[in-house]
Amino acid sequence: MALLAYIGRRLLFVGPQLVGILLVSFFLVKLIPGDPAVLMLGPFATPDALARLRTELGLDGTLIEQFLIYLWNVLQGDLGTSWQTTLPVTIDLAQRFPATLELVTLGLLLALLIGIPLGVAGAFFKRGLLRKAADYYGLLAGALPDFWLALVLIFVFYTMLGIAPAPLGRIDFAILPPEPVTGALLIDSLIAGNWAAFWNAAGHLVLPVVTLGLINAGPILKMTQSTMERMLEADFSRYAEMCGLPRHVVLRKALRNSLPSIVTIVSVLYGFLIGGAVLVEIVFSWGGAGQYAVQGVLNADLNPVLGFVLYSAVLSLVIYLIVDLIYFAIDPRTR
Amino acid sequence: MGATAAVMRGTPAHELERAATPLLSIEDLWVAIPRYKLESQQVLRRIDLEMAPGEVLGLVGESGSGKTMLARSIMRLIPASGWIERGRIRFGGQDLAALNEEELRKLRGRDIAMIISNPRGELDPLQTVGQQIGNILRYHMRMDRTAIRARVLDLLRQVSIPDPERRLNAYPHELSGGMAQRVVMAIALACSPKFIISDDATSGLDVTVQAQVLELMRKLVVERGTSLLFITRDIGITAHFCDRVAVIYAGEIVELAARDEFFENPQHPYTLLLLAAFSHNERLRRYWLGEDETRKEMGPSPTGCPFANRCVRVQPRCRSEHPSLRELASRHFVRCHFPVER
Repeated sequence: MALLAYIGRRLLFVGPQLVGILLVSFFLVKLIPGDPAVLMLGPFATPDALARLRTELGLDGTLIEQFLIYLWNVLQGDLGTSWQTTLPVTIDLAQRFPATLELVTLGLLLALLIGIPLGVAGAFFKRGLLRKAADYYGLLAGALPDFWLALVLIFVFYTMLGIAPAPLGRIDFAILPPEPVTGALLIDSLIAGNWAAFWNAAGHLVLPVVTLGLINAGPILKMTQSTMERMLEADFSRYAEMCGLPRHVVLRKALRNSLPSIVTIVSVLYGFLIGGAVLVEIVFSWGGAGQYAVQGVLNADLNPVLGFVLYSAVLSLVIYLIVDLIYFAIDPRTR
Repeated sequence: MGATAAVMRGTPAHELERAATPLLSIEDLWVAIPRYKLESQQVLRRIDLEMAPGEVLGLVGESGSGKTMLARSIMRLIPASGWIERGRIRFGGQDLAALNEEELRKLRGRDIAMIISNPRGELDPLQTVGQQIGNILRYHMRMDRTAIRARVLDLLRQVSIPDPERRLNAYPHELSGGMAQRVVMAIALACSPKFIISDDATSGLDVTVQAQVLELMRKLVVERGTSLLFITRDIGITAHFCDRVAVIYAGEIVELAARDEFFENPQHPYTLLLLAAFSHNERLRRYWLGEDETRKEMGPSPTGCPFANRCVRVQPRCRSEHPSLRELASRHFVRCHFPVER
């Protein structure tokens, strides 16, 4: 029950943390020059009309007033509307956030599948071809921009070979998307039993997921390799060797002791990629949350930006809570 | 020292001499480690050592003298990427150099077990005591689950751990130093090895706990007729339960004798220095230890006797000629040109 108390204590701080995050991002966003009223009404608007619109948008009060009004609305579940899509931000994000989550989650899973085995192998065979390959791969993955890799993949697999679908969103226009339940197309089409939609969405996912997976396997590989090396040289590994335990048992012990570091880097990457995958989203016209927020910033459309910040903040807090619970599960010393 | 030595007995030394084949025999062992941008350094030289089945041999030396190197060379897990330059180690009549990595692995922990110091740092922090002892049984003895559990409980009882059922599920960080030391002893005893190396095992413990653990170790070893190589920095401890005592200095064995002979008639200046450090006799202490701190800084001398720079009785010959290990009395070996006479 100490666990429940711990979770409760953590949740207590979520509210103040979110208000703080909103406060900072609100004022930062307000610092961006640009008047939404001018952008909305176009170059031929009369000063009268502009003033009226500003009053309507609540832009004529002081910044503090504006923030308090925004906060009050947020508390009632109203994140405002985007003037670009003319839809409430909650509805926009309900479509886009799952799209990003689906992409990022699968991308990270692939990164784990590449990074952990390569990292473990690199730590175990300190010399040799595999270690060299792992080292070069880590360097390359750190140096390549993800959008460039995305463009190369599109060029090879769509333009040249024609085996990948066009980089125009999450599913073909000709295919009816499944009824949204979770917002993730793969899961929703499985729920609806719509196999055509499932395979089509999966096909669209391949290239962006491979892009994110290949790039983000780099840091995971590096972290796994360095932690594993440290663990394999740790006293308990040496002792396990002296006890004559088989190699694979020693390796498994070291890997288990490395897990906390790996979990940490994955959680950091996850939080980062929610917004950081935006270039890949743009290249594949994914219509994800990052893309939405960037459009908002470019067009002085503040509500989507703040809404995105709020959603990612909540998600990050949830991830960090889960990470702490995983630490509990892995390491008896933290209990 | 001599008085304490007479108190306890393991196996009488004359019986050991009769044992036909030694369990462990080390012949002219040289071990080197690489040094960055320098010539490699020989950390063990001319080691000759034999141990009979059931014998307890104390190996005394200061830190850096090569005690751990010797222990790990026997295990063929030489630290600091060291290697055996020359010499031979036989265990149970078998040349260890002839074994491949897998055969060596099976030997470690099963036939040759190690008891280490700082056990809380050496146990896996993520596994319970039961799992760690069980692992040894599982991979060396191929026991099944229920047999392992029974045997682990039995082992915990043998090393006098109170409430073994509960300790089974304890993690290393939940154990006291003495308890962790007992767990490591249980791991060492798990496969009933013929030979146990205790490497400075009790150095991190409180003195009272140390006494308990030593007493337990002696009991378990004598009961089973296991050979024990007891490595320590504390020459006083060896007086309590070793059949023979060896002193190692700068990678060389400088004195080796049966315990009673060793403590009654020590002959190497380094041994006397170690013994004087425990003595109440102020004059003796001043003579042997007077300026040892400054002399120690000079390090071992490169030619001649390695102890020459620290020796209060040093003569010109000591700096030019390397002394060989001579048998001065019966089975009493000393590596010194000018052994201390009574």
